[in-house]
Amino acid sequence: MTRAQVAIRGVSQRFGVDGASVTALDGIDLDVPDSQFVSVVGPSGCGKSTLLSLVAGLRQPSSGSVLCDGELITAPMPRKVGMIFQEANLLPWLSAIDNVAFPLKLRRVPKAERLEAAARMLDLTGLAGFESRLPHQLSGGMKQRVAIARGLVQNPAVLLMDEPFASLDEQTRMVLGDELLRIWSETRKTVLFVTHSLHEAVYLADRVIVLSARPGRIVDDVPVSLPRPRTFAMTSTEAFGVLKDRIWQHIRHAERA
Amino acid sequence: MIRSSRGLRLSQAALYVGILVAWEVLPRSGMVPRLFVPPLSEALETLVRDRREYLGSLPATLGEILVSYAIACGGGILAGQLIASVPAARRMLLPVLRGAYAVPLVVLYPVMMVWFGLGSESKIAFASIYAFIPTMLTAIAGVAALSPGLAETAHALGATRTQQILYVALPASLPSIVAALRLGGALVIVGVIVAEMLGAADGLGFLITRQRTLLNSPGVYAGIILVLAMTGLHEALLRRLERKVAAYRES
Repeated sequence: MTRAQVAIRGVSQRFGVDGASVTALDGIDLDVPDSQFVSVVGPSGCGKSTLLSLVAGLRQPSSGSVLCDGELITAPMPRKVGMIFQEANLLPWLSAIDNVAFPLKLRRVPKAERLEAAARMLDLTGLAGFESRLPHQLSGGMKQRVAIARGLVQNPAVLLMDEPFASLDEQTRMVLGDELLRIWSETRKTVLFVTHSLHEAVYLADRVIVLSARPGRIVDDVPVSLPRPRTFAMTSTEAFGVLKDRIWQHIRHAERA
Repeated sequence: MIRSSRGLRLSQAALYVGILVAWEVLPRSGMVPRLFVPPLSEALETLVRDRREYLGSLPATLGEILVSYAIACGGGILAGQLIASVPAARRMLLPVLRGAYAVPLVVLYPVMMVWFGLGSESKIAFASIYAFIPTMLTAIAGVAALSPGLAETAHALGATRTQQILYVALPASLPSIVAALRLGGALVIVGVIVAEMLGAADGLGFLITRQRTLLNSPGVYAGIILVLAMTGLHEALLRRLERKVAAYRES
C-alpha cells in the first residue's frame, strides 16, 4: 500500500468577514499518495486556493490537521512543499537564474552550488539560454516556467500549484500543460493542482477532486484512468468526455445553488 | 546601442551649450533687455567679484536645506512607508493628504515668520512642511505599486521576517525612495530659497532679493547660478545613489 504523502484530516476553515463567520472549507478528508497528480476543481469561491494554502503552511486550519510525510504542517516547509501561484511573482530585479536560486539563498546555500542547481532547473523547464534575462524580458509563459523551476529547485516531494496557467493564453496553457506532465514524469513529484478548467483538470491528473460551493466539501473523487503519456488526441475521446461531463454535473449543480 | 547613447549625450551637451550661448548672445544683441536677463559673462563676473558676499550667504542657506531635507525626506519617506503598509491608514489618509497637497502652502509663510521669527527656524519650518507631503505621497505610491504576491511568495519559500525585509521589501521600495528623495530634495531647495526671498536677514534668497531691489540684474543672476549649482549637485548625488541602488538590488 502506498503511503499518503499529503494527508488532510477533518480540515475546516472559517474566516471572519465583516463580523460574520464564513466557512470556506468543511470537513475535508483527503489522502494523496506519493507521486500522484491530483487536480482540485470546484465552483468559484469554494475554497480550492484556501486548501492549497493550508498544505503550503501559509495559514492554519480552524480545525483538523494537514500532514506532509507524516509531519504536521504548521508553517511553510519549502524543502518539502513547493508552491506555485497564478502569478509568477518573480523578484523583478533578479535575473531568471537568481530568481530560481532565491529559495536556496534564503537557506544560505553557497553561491556556486545554488547557481548550479538553478541552472539545472532552468534546463529542466526548457529555459536554458535565458538565465540572465530579467522577468520583464520574459513572456508570461516563460515567467511561469521560471516560477516552476523555482518551486522545484529545493527538490520538494510535493508541488502545489494554484491555477498556475490561469493568466496565460490558451495555446501557452496547452504547451505548459504538456511541459508540466513531462517534468512530472521525470521528477515524480506529488502534485496538487488547483484549476477552474475542467479540461485541464482531467487532462493532467490521475485523480480529480471536486469541491462543492461554499462551504467547500468534497463531493466527488474522480479517478482518471486515461493512459499516459497523455496526448491531445485523447481529449476528443469518449472516455475524456464522460469524465468531464461527470465533473461538470457537480459544478453546474453547485453554481446554480 | 553605444552609438545611440553617445549620440544622446552629444545632443544633450549641444542643448546645454546652446542655452549658455543664447544666455550670452541674446542680451548682448539687444533682443532681450539686459535688465531682465544680463549676459551670462556679466553674471559670472559679478559672482567672482563679489564672491565673499555670495559664498558668505551659503552657510545659512545650506544649513537650512540640510535640516529641512532630513525632516521632509526622512520623515516623509518613513511616514509614507508606515502609512502604505497599513491598508486602513492608507484608505483613510490618502484623500486627506492629496487635498493638503493641493493647498498652496506658501500662503503659510507669513504665519511662520510671525511664529518662528526672521531666522533659520522659519525657513526650516516652511521648507519642511512644503516638501513633506509630496515626498510622502511619492513614497506611498511606490509601496502601493508593489505586488502583495511577492511577500506571499517569499513567505511560502520560507523567508524569515528579516529576510523578507532585506531581500524583498527593501529592494522593492528602493526606486520609490530615490524618487521621493529626488522630488523632496528639489522642493526643499525651492522652499528654503523662496522663504529667504520673502523675509529673511541672511541666505542666498535674501541676497537675490536685495540685488533685485537694487535693480542689479547681474547680481540677481549670480545668485541664480548658485541655486542652479545646488540643484545640479543634488541631482548628481541622486544619480550616484541610483547606481548604487541598482547594484544592491542585483547583488
